[in-house]
Amino acid sequence: MSTVAAPPRPGTDTDGDAQHRLTEALRRVPAAAWPLVVFALLFLIGGIVRPNLLTLEALWSTAAFAMIVAIASSGQTLAVIQGGIDLSVPNTVTLSALTFLSAVDGLGAFGAFVAAIAAGAVVGLVNGTIIAKLSLSPIVTTIAMNGFLFGVVLLTFDFSQLTDIPRFASDITSAKIAFLGTEVAAVVPVGLGLLLALQALLSWTGWGRALFLVGAAPDVARLAGQPVDRIRITAYMLSGALAAFAGIVIVGFYAQTSTGMGAPYLLGSVAAVVVGGASIFGGRGSMIGTLGGALVLGQVATLVAVANLGVNIQQLIYGVIILFVVALYGRRARA
Amino acid sequence: MSAPAIPLGARLRRSPGLVGLKREGAVAPVLAFVLFFVIYVAINPELLTRFQLQTAANLVAPLALVALAQLLIVLVGGIDISVAAVMSLTNVVFATQLESASPLVAGVLAVAVGMGCGLFNGLLSAYGRLPVIAVTLASSFIFGALATEVLDRPGGAVSEGVTLATSGELAPYVPVALVWVLVAAALLWLLLQKTSLGRHIYGAGSNAEGMRAAGLNDRAAQLTAFVLAGGLVALGAILLAGSTATGDPKSGDPYLLNAIAAVALAGASFTGGRGSVVGTICAAAILGLVGNVLFFAGVDSYWQYVVGSVIIVAVVGIPVVVRRLSARVKGASA
Amino acid sequence: MTSPTSTLPGAPATPVDAAPAEAGGASLGHRGDAAPVLVAENLTKSYGAVHAVRDVSLACLGGEVHALVGENGAGKSTVAKMLAGAVVPDTGLVRVGGEPLSSGSVRTARRHGVQCAFQELALVPDWTVAENLCLPDGSSLRRFARGRETREAERVLAALDLEHIDPRRPVHEMPLADRQQVEIARAVSGDVKVLILDEASSALTPPGVEWLFARIRELTARGAAVVYVSHRLGEIREIADRGTVLRDGAVVSDFQRGSWTDDELISSMAGRTAARAFPAPPALEHADGPAALEVEGLAGEAIHDVSLTVAPGEILGIGGLQGHGQAELLRSLWGAEPATARTWRVAGKAIRRLDPVRAVHAGIGFVPEDRKREGLALEMGVGENLLAPWTRPHERGGAPRLKREKGWIDEVLGGLSVRTRGAKERSGALSGGNQQKLVFGRWVGRDRRLVLLHDPTRGIDVRAKQELYDAIVALAREGVGVVWFSTEVEELVHVCHRVVVLYRGAVADELQGERLTADAVVGAAVGRRAVA
Repeated sequence: MSTVAAPPRPGTDTDGDAQHRLTEALRRVPAAAWPLVVFALLFLIGGIVRPNLLTLEALWSTAAFAMIVAIASSGQTLAVIQGGIDLSVPNTVTLSALTFLSAVDGLGAFGAFVAAIAAGAVVGLVNGTIIAKLSLSPIVTTIAMNGFLFGVVLLTFDFSQLTDIPRFASDITSAKIAFLGTEVAAVVPVGLGLLLALQALLSWTGWGRALFLVGAAPDVARLAGQPVDRIRITAYMLSGALAAFAGIVIVGFYAQTSTGMGAPYLLGSVAAVVVGGASIFGGRGSMIGTLGGALVLGQVATLVAVANLGVNIQQLIYGVIILFVVALYGRRARA
Repeated sequence: MSAPAIPLGARLRRSPGLVGLKREGAVAPVLAFVLFFVIYVAINPELLTRFQLQTAANLVAPLALVALAQLLIVLVGGIDISVAAVMSLTNVVFATQLESASPLVAGVLAVAVGMGCGLFNGLLSAYGRLPVIAVTLASSFIFGALATEVLDRPGGAVSEGVTLATSGELAPYVPVALVWVLVAAALLWLLLQKTSLGRHIYGAGSNAEGMRAAGLNDRAAQLTAFVLAGGLVALGAILLAGSTATGDPKSGDPYLLNAIAAVALAGASFTGGRGSVVGTICAAAILGLVGNVLFFAGVDSYWQYVVGSVIIVAVVGIPVVVRRLSARVKGASA
Repeated sequence: MTSPTSTLPGAPATPVDAAPAEAGGASLGHRGDAAPVLVAENLTKSYGAVHAVRDVSLACLGGEVHALVGENGAGKSTVAKMLAGAVVPDTGLVRVGGEPLSSGSVRTARRHGVQCAFQELALVPDWTVAENLCLPDGSSLRRFARGRETREAERVLAALDLEHIDPRRPVHEMPLADRQQVEIARAVSGDVKVLILDEASSALTPPGVEWLFARIRELTARGAAVVYVSHRLGEIREIADRGTVLRDGAVVSDFQRGSWTDDELISSMAGRTAARAFPAPPALEHADGPAALEVEGLAGEAIHDVSLTVAPGEILGIGGLQGHGQAELLRSLWGAEPATARTWRVAGKAIRRLDPVRAVHAGIGFVPEDRKREGLALEMGVGENLLAPWTRPHERGGAPRLKREKGWIDEVLGGLSVRTRGAKERSGALSGGNQQKLVFGRWVGRDRRLVLLHDPTRGIDVRAKQELYDAIVALAREGVGVVWFSTEVEELVHVCHRVVVLYRGAVADELQGERLTADAVVGAAVGRRAVA
């Protein structure tokens, strides 16, 4: 047996190197930034087509709608990052909104607010406990929970009585705040603050990092001594509480209630999370990304409305955007 | 074949049918269905009259078919968010085509559209290697938009003949809808259990990588599952159009979560490779008829949502708890 | 050493350039008429910018076993997969019996008589053994008859001496070693001209390896060629007639039976002179403190009445055939599996209930069996994987935490010579050996009392193995008790103070000092108590 001189290490030729450096540079851009970039492009395109879309007013009106979707999707983002999904968002939204409205007489606005958030957290606690302790699939558990809550909502609340929207709810949502000479709905700064706080929680705390670890590789997390069940349960609790907050925001902003008021957020919340660059299998996602996703979807709605194309076209474009995003970075690992 | 010395119980436990049900996780839902049926008949013996059988069958049939479609996707390791949209789309295609075409042509067209939707999802998932749940989330927006494009409000031209052919009676005490479901289920069962393709569908969900390394075509199996699922959804949509006598671009919506719930209740594994046709039919029957039982028991029908959810969690969760407890007892006694 | 074949990458000497016609075998004077059954010509494969395999040529003669050796990431698996048709080469050609095997399809290759068993099991877990063996193949609507398949599988299993495997059992219920045997059985039961075994013995027990060698000899006696990819030099010495060493995706040398030593092969693989040396276990100087582990009458799902004591700084080896309770023992000691014991103390503190969270608090560390599935979150960074047990919900995490722990992280990465671009690199991008070092490195310098290792050196390259041995000994020197299950008997014999051999979930023998020999370990593992 003989050994020959070592061949050159597997390297790259110069052409490939340049290309490589470019892809490396692009990869270093945080995934969460892309949806925001796309939103900015869409915003500019809107401005080219219709100059009056390139104003702060136009931005604020799209942002207000997008922010509501983003708030409703923030809990979903947490659920998806830890490797699950929360399909009980719609009726948690409804439950919270109605709890808030019916408790406001007895407990006052703040008390009712706390009660509604607590209701959402309890919903999440039950979801999380069933998923973590009984190992039921998150899809099944949260679907069952959604059905359960639908029954509870129908059996508990008298819709004809719940028409008064307390000022507190509109103060944090639809009330206008003067900003740079324009008026912006309160929900924009409120939502932005919430999402940034959540993003900090995800990026810079042990809980946030553990959430990613649990989502990316649950067995690894368990065998590394992470309290996986507790992390899952707290994630679903927070998800439920955030859906509940979304319920109050929605009822405050739109000032109306119905049994189906949460329904658009079933697929809507998942869509915003996916467009925001999260992996549907867990372990990847961000609040900023979800906000970007909601903004992209919101701007598409604005453009479609301005071009008078109708809701069908808007939905069709939503579908195409999701496909596009998924094709970009939702691809399963190379076989 | 079996020696007479083996007690009946043991022989039953070893019978291939039961072993199969057990392996596919369907024992609990079948038992639950039997229990449910007994309670139903005890509360309401009238179920066994011609009219009520027919109503019950019409209620359950579309859900059963959509659940079977969902089962196929779950078997290959995915979850299909677009079933509701495909159902709405094929429902309105069928209803509007009836205005100009014969029921047969309209039916064939609807099934073809359903299969086309399945092909779209399947190509992107199996050959584009995109996650199924994300692909079908996207396509549910697209197919939903197409459905409202075809027909923007309930309507269409469902004739009485069509209604009879989909939701009438084939013979006394034999509802047509039930026959449709049973024929579809039997064919699906034969395909899944008795052909190579069927085993491939189970294999693709269980370990696609392994199938590929063994030289088998997992992608084709996955694609076939999607196309068949599209066809089954369309069949469900046709039965729904028949029994409600209209086409409705929102008619599929309630079926999305219910179909997933039925597959879960059937004990299928959402990571793929495990699930049972028999269990799915039983599960769909339970979920479809909960409301009826409560109605006859004189309970507010809103309770059906609460009871349905509790049944799902109980039937899926109790075996887990039992297994855990028995493991703990065994560990302690060891 | 003497070598009849010395090859340069890109300019392959014999036997390749003589292939495919008559000269190949003849020139080597081996079986005068043997023409190469399988010839690979100038195979090249790149993944993105990485050249996985460059210009690899080799020829396998009928009736011979051709070994493919190299460190992890040397491209062995990629070459094996190209030969098997599972990966399409960018350029180059594979010929079977002179005919080019153009399309990269396992099915076509199988039809040409190329059968393979892979390291990652290519079995469908929810299928029964029978289904996996007989592969419901052919036209899609062909009737699939369960009874017939089962009988056929029974026949195949009986013919291959595998009666202990029930063809009706779903594969996921079986132990790893049995699964690997099923996969090998599938490969060898067909019409075999070429058999490719890619680390197919990784989970096999010594008798299992014997079984595999018997099958290989049956095949070569019939004139088939066997390509054998393995890390285990002992196996290669026994079975390989000829071999090719790969490094960095290219052929660096060839060898023939009897013409090489372990050290030469290792240095050829590593590209440097390296002797395979086991470090000796450190002297026991911490023995005065409380025992690192003291457990009496440990019982669980697959273990019965196991009693162990590990002194601080002691390396206790766990031996035995795979599937005799070693995995369960380690997992129980880590709290990942339910178990009870009469007395159970870690570093002097009584254990009442244990789960991994409590185990971390109790000063235990654990390196699980499967580094890819249980050890690392491959999508996450190197640093965060190291910190996985040390991330607490209420503390800082992410970038601020990495900054604060930089000292420790650099120490671990440096101490274990982990080859990485830094704490933020995706851990999935590392080679197997370096990944394994991360899983181990978590517990270094973290005040552990007891560290449990589940076969940490399985399937990693020689250099990484060496570095891990040193790290384990260093850990023990600091006074940490180590429980080390290994499937490599040599490791147990050389690096451990004491070895406990498990058989059917119970302690079969405890070996120490003079009695600690490879034969004694293997003997106890099959239930034969060595006579002292």
